[in-house]
Amino acid sequence: MKQVASALHTRAGLIAAIVLALVLVLAVIGPYIAPFDPLKNSGAILQAPNATHWFGTDYLGRDVLSRVLAGAPLSVYTAFEAVGIGLVIGVIPGITSVYLGRTYEWITLRVMDGLIALPFLIFAIAVAALLGNAVQQAMIAVGILIAPAFYRITRAAVLSHANSQYVTASQLFGASLFRVIRTHVWSKILPTLVVATANATAAGLLIVSSLTFLGIGVVPPDPTWGGILASDLSYLSQAPYGPIFPSLLIMATVGSLNLLADAIKDTSGDHGRVRLLKRRGRRVGTA
Amino acid sequence: MTALLEVSGLRVELGHGRGRTEVLHGVDLTVEPGQIVGLIGETGSGKTTLARAVLGLAPPNSGTVLIEEQNTTKLRGRALRAFRRSGAAQYVFQDPLRSLDPDRTVFDTLVEGLVVQGGRSRDELRDAADRVARLVSLPAELLSKHPGELSGGQRQRVAIGRAMAVEPKLLICDEPVSALDASTRITILELLLELRRERGLGVIMITHDLGSLAGVADRVTVLYRGNVVESGSTQEVLLAPQHPYTRLLVESVPSLFDDEPLDSNRRGELRDAVRALELDEPVASVAGTR
Repeated sequence: MKQVASALHTRAGLIAAIVLALVLVLAVIGPYIAPFDPLKNSGAILQAPNATHWFGTDYLGRDVLSRVLAGAPLSVYTAFEAVGIGLVIGVIPGITSVYLGRTYEWITLRVMDGLIALPFLIFAIAVAALLGNAVQQAMIAVGILIAPAFYRITRAAVLSHANSQYVTASQLFGASLFRVIRTHVWSKILPTLVVATANATAAGLLIVSSLTFLGIGVVPPDPTWGGILASDLSYLSQAPYGPIFPSLLIMATVGSLNLLADAIKDTSGDHGRVRLLKRRGRRVGTA
Repeated sequence: MTALLEVSGLRVELGHGRGRTEVLHGVDLTVEPGQIVGLIGETGSGKTTLARAVLGLAPPNSGTVLIEEQNTTKLRGRALRAFRRSGAAQYVFQDPLRSLDPDRTVFDTLVEGLVVQGGRSRDELRDAADRVARLVSLPAELLSKHPGELSGGQRQRVAIGRAMAVEPKLLICDEPVSALDASTRITILELLLELRRERGLGVIMITHDLGSLAGVADRVTVLYRGNVVESGSTQEVLLAPQHPYTRLLVESVPSLFDDEPLDSNRRGELRDAVRALELDEPVASVAGTR
């Protein structure tokens, strides 16, 4: 991933990568460094942050720091899983719809239109009812529902390059469709796709929480950042600082994803070429 | 000697559904090895469509395209890709900036055809790129550059080099010099002449600029509204044009020594003559030089 590597040479990209790395580390080791049992109730409910409970306690007297740490893997993995599913079932048809003929194009367009028309919550509830109420099923539902966004974005990006003369030249050499996409199309759509992915991952984190709020997917008392946020919101008058800790983590993750996406966009595609040429101090072509 | 390219009775329709229009109405064209054939005609006359049909980019309704005696109109899918990998016919686009992938270096672009053919090591590709760069007079230090860092003439050399790397027998150049300034134009035309001399390359040069054909083409074919209206040696066609449309084209070429290239009465006369002959087909609306 040349584009990602060059994005890390910008300050914004580096900061974003460091924050994301910390979040990932948290997702891996979070449950093991939690000072208390995240599920254990105690009499000390809704305590303010103090020396024992750094982030305070929630309405059942559970240690918030432990819950935030223990909830990290579930929150992060589920968001990535949903986006991963969405990417696979959105991007692949998105690219191929441009090249594989009008019938295939028509079918994929109508399927994606159909998915866009589905009301999100009703679909999620229906999937939970059909496949059982668990995290995997909920993430499949979320993934399917964000796929049309990826499909549309990818398709639009591919369309603007699909019939470029260099693609025709490549086809005249007898290049396969896969090769044409890999060598000529992929680098053009990647910046757009990365930004969309970062945004979708951010949305994914929040969707997981909103589903938890409805009791779909992650079932209480299992902690997730979104779940902690939702329960804290009910006790704002008693513990107004409550939502700060889970929100800070969600914001840091979402914010750095967006920052990274921005850096990648700036260092690849047309922007990236202009940057590169400017750094080399040469005349910039009318690309 | 067998012809390199033999197009006969080629009919091509473009567009979909009710907008479908026949753009070529049975075109014949022959190119011998080592011959440069100029294809001239106004915008919408079907020049580019003819080139695309020869290359299998626009499927014909009827007629045949024989490249080295192989009928390419019947090839589909895998067979078509296999034929293309042989590199027999290549295409050079009008606008060298848009025809080069801005993300890939000159080296990547030059060896793309060889990479697609497969079976070459990195070193062999390096050698091939150096050879092609010399062939089209590109300085070796440009190989690591991106198209945005090159001048217009250099870009067109890269585009010609990309096509020449697979050692084609037939090169179709669509307005190869119209995006270039006059002095660069000459060097590119000289390059084509040299390639013809050294490689026995057959060339179809699509253009609306008669001036760039005069010193270069052996034969000229005039396309008007999807029909070949005149075809012959360059001298015959340019010095003694038979068809009114050709006459209009020839007389419209501005000369440095005339005060007025073509007076308006004469031009009107010729236009009327062309109209009188009207080939009762509407001007193709879909085609264009791009």
